[in-house]
Amino acid sequence: MKINTHQFGEIEFEEENIIAFDHGLPGFEKMKRYLLIRTEDELFHWLNSVEDPELCFPLVGARIIDENYPEIEGHEAFGIVTLNEDPAKTTINLKAPVYIDQNKKTGFQKIMEDDSYSINYNLFVENKNADTN
Amino acid sequence: MLILTRKIDEEIIIDSNIRIKILSSSDGQVKVGLTAPPEVEILRAEVYEKIKENTLMASVNSKNKLKGISVLKINKISK
Repeated sequence: MKINTHQFGEIEFEEENIIAFDHGLPGFEKMKRYLLIRTEDELFHWLNSVEDPELCFPLVGARIIDENYPEIEGHEAFGIVTLNEDPAKTTINLKAPVYIDQNKKTGFQKIMEDDSYSINYNLFVENKNADTN
Repeated sequence: MLILTRKIDEEIIIDSNIRIKILSSSDGQVKVGLTAPPEVEILRAEVYEKIKENTLMASVNSKNKLKGISVLKINKISK
C-alpha cells in the first residue's frame, strides 16, 4: 500500500503496519488508521493518518520528560506535540497522552481528569550551557 | 435535546448501564453522581473541548519545519 504524505512524501507500507485507533482522536473521530513513523531524528515519532495522508501528529515519548509518567501494560505513552515557529515555544500535551501497543497495533488517547499534567507543557528549555557541554 | 426534570436523589438511566444521580443543588451549582462501566469515558465537556482544540492545533502546526531544536534541552520533570 502507498500513501502520499505531506511530511515524508510517498511512503509504502504493509497492512500489518497500520495502528488501529478505534475511537479516533478528539476532533478526528473518523480517522481510525495510522502509521507510526520514525525518522533519523531521535526525539520525534510521527503519527500519520492512512485515511487522510495530510493529517499528521508529532509525538514525543512521555517518559522522556517524566520517568514516572503513568504506564499502561504493553503500551508506550506519547504526548502530542504542537510545533511552533519559535522552537523554544514547542509544547507537548501530557494531559491527554496517546497510548500505543506496537505489538497489537492498537492505540487510543486517554484524557486525564485530574490536573497533574499540563495540556501545553513546554517541551524545551533553552540550553544555556550549549557550548560548554 | 431531551429535557427531564429530576428531584434530589432521583436518577436517570442511559442504555441500561449508565446511571446519573442528582445529589444536591445550591447557588447555581448542581452535584451529580455518575456510575458507568470502566470503558465509558466520562469528562467535563470543557476539558474535552480544550483537548480537541489542542489536537487540531498540533495537526496544523505539524507542517512546521523542525529547525533550531538541536540547541534546546528537554524540559524534564524531576520529582
